[in-house]
Amino acid sequence: MKEKAYLGIDIGSISTKGVIINEKNEFLAECYLWTEGNPVKATKDVLHALKEQFDEEHYRVVASGTTGSARKLIGSMIGAQVVKNEITAHAVGTTTIHPDVRTILEIGGQDSKIICVENGVAVDYAMNTLCAAGTGAFLSSQAHRLGVEVEEFGEIALKAEKAAPIAARCTVFAESDLVHKLQVGCPKEEIIAGLCKAVAGNYLNNVAKGKKIISPVVFQGGVSKNAGVVRMFEEELGMPVIVDENGHLMGAFGIAVLAKEQQSEGNFSFDVADMEFKTREVTCGKCANHCEIICVYREGRLIDSWGNRCDNGAVK
Amino acid sequence: MDKIQTIGIPRGLMAYRDGVLWKNFFEQLGYSCVFSSKSDRKMLEEGTAKAIDEACLPFKMYLGHVAELLGKCDALFVPRMGGYKTTEKMCTRYEALPDLIRNIFRDEGIRVLTVSYDWYTKTTEEKVYIELGGNLGKTKKESKKAYTYAKKQQENWLKTRNKKQTQLLESKKIKVLLAGHPYVLHDAYMGGELATLLNKMGTDVLYTDYVDRSDALKKSYDFSKVMPWLINREMTGGIMMLRKKVDGIILVSAYPCGPDSLVNDMLIRKIRSIPVLNLTLDAQSGTAGVETRLESFIDIIRYQKAGGYGTKN
Repeated sequence: MKEKAYLGIDIGSISTKGVIINEKNEFLAECYLWTEGNPVKATKDVLHALKEQFDEEHYRVVASGTTGSARKLIGSMIGAQVVKNEITAHAVGTTTIHPDVRTILEIGGQDSKIICVENGVAVDYAMNTLCAAGTGAFLSSQAHRLGVEVEEFGEIALKAEKAAPIAARCTVFAESDLVHKLQVGCPKEEIIAGLCKAVAGNYLNNVAKGKKIISPVVFQGGVSKNAGVVRMFEEELGMPVIVDENGHLMGAFGIAVLAKEQQSEGNFSFDVADMEFKTREVTCGKCANHCEIICVYREGRLIDSWGNRCDNGAVK
Repeated sequence: MDKIQTIGIPRGLMAYRDGVLWKNFFEQLGYSCVFSSKSDRKMLEEGTAKAIDEACLPFKMYLGHVAELLGKCDALFVPRMGGYKTTEKMCTRYEALPDLIRNIFRDEGIRVLTVSYDWYTKTTEEKVYIELGGNLGKTKKESKKAYTYAKKQQENWLKTRNKKQTQLLESKKIKVLLAGHPYVLHDAYMGGELATLLNKMGTDVLYTDYVDRSDALKKSYDFSKVMPWLINREMTGGIMMLRKKVDGIILVSAYPCGPDSLVNDMLIRKIRSIPVLNLTLDAQSGTAGVETRLESFIDIIRYQKAGGYGTKN
């Protein structure tokens, strides 16, 4: 009899993450790659990568879950038992590994959030709303402008003697500040340190505004890999900030844990990675709302649809 | 000028609070009333095209409703409401409403019927409506009778909703209180969507404006003596009355709202006993962002009640 395993996939705007865990919440396989605007292809690639690491002799995937902004699409694609928002997935994942955590800071590719935890359960959260300033996408574009790989940012920032002051409130202002600093001959490392500080400052002044940040603090999401931002958070908060080596996988891990804890099991097969999936956006014309309905097809057959505000737009 | 027979009432802004009063008042005086249809995306698009970009979402929607009524009525009822007390005012949008509508639709040549009152000229609702009747050529007696009847209808309408909501408090489901301006909460394209999503998530939805208005207003003074806005007061009072009976509160605001940005921030800081979500609605189509936020919030309530995320190893 094969042991049970659980699959979790977290599809964000920038990166797609996948993990397979066993009953003891141990990682059996993991994968992290860029979404590149194509969640279906990214998921297929993740599944291929996971399959290679996965010991099919001893384990069998009995339940799966999806989270992240494309969770619905990928959920119907792989036939997931659990499809859940990223706040819950991150809270579950983080509290499983750090049971005493009180505050989770998360900065991803296009959004950032804060989750406040009490007794191992989320009690409050906030997400960035209208503005994506200070997220991973912002750092990437600034790295490009400076001719530096974004992965090197942290290391360079730590070398700087001081951080150049850069406006934290808005990407557009930050960018004009940065150009100005470059033109007056400010050293690159100080500018990079300044950007890291701006990201931390922007986060604390916007997303985390009004939230009480209590230690232990865990910082995750792609930007947590940036040691410069981590240090700026520690300086601003005056408390240690924990970065888990698997921090970037926490959403996928959390949703895998939820898949394990819900009762139903289903058949999962890696074969979906080789099937053809197509999505079509249809504008419903049955009333003045003109809803954009997403239809998902597997091998040419409709398997799911959503996006309609009323029953008139239900696709059968 | 032609005789008025049909009065158009745009289904937006204060129509969600006082529409029953307006309709009954006019009908008692012998007019027929026509409301614009429920909000949809097309109306918002039309309204947005006519508004300056800084106007708030409900105002843009209102313009769409006005546009829909063009040619369907002899006059439009667009009240100018300043407020009756310094601590119970309306926002500047209301002080300017008839002027805005006349100007924005000046080429369409619409006829605007209005009332006009301010907190610094001592008056009452009854006086205001008797004056409106007078402008329509009705006697004081006729107008007063129509107002009294309409007011009664309005109160009955609210009582029915209040009663239904009170029954809902017995429900075993998770109860979420939607707090906000009535014209955001009950608009089919704004807050109406939220109730549908929340019901699908297996929760019951309550509203801050389905309580006794004068009770709510009174309660709001316990929260703040100086807050100047009537609608924010009624909303705050509603929260005070219901907060111990619900599992979570969602502050629903339509972008950008000045009074809400101040009051909601204060509410978030002061209400510590139950989960509160601050939700700002914008003209974005698609409900994915809102759905994620609502689902996360309901999860917080649900898992907290359960005391954890399940059987952890």
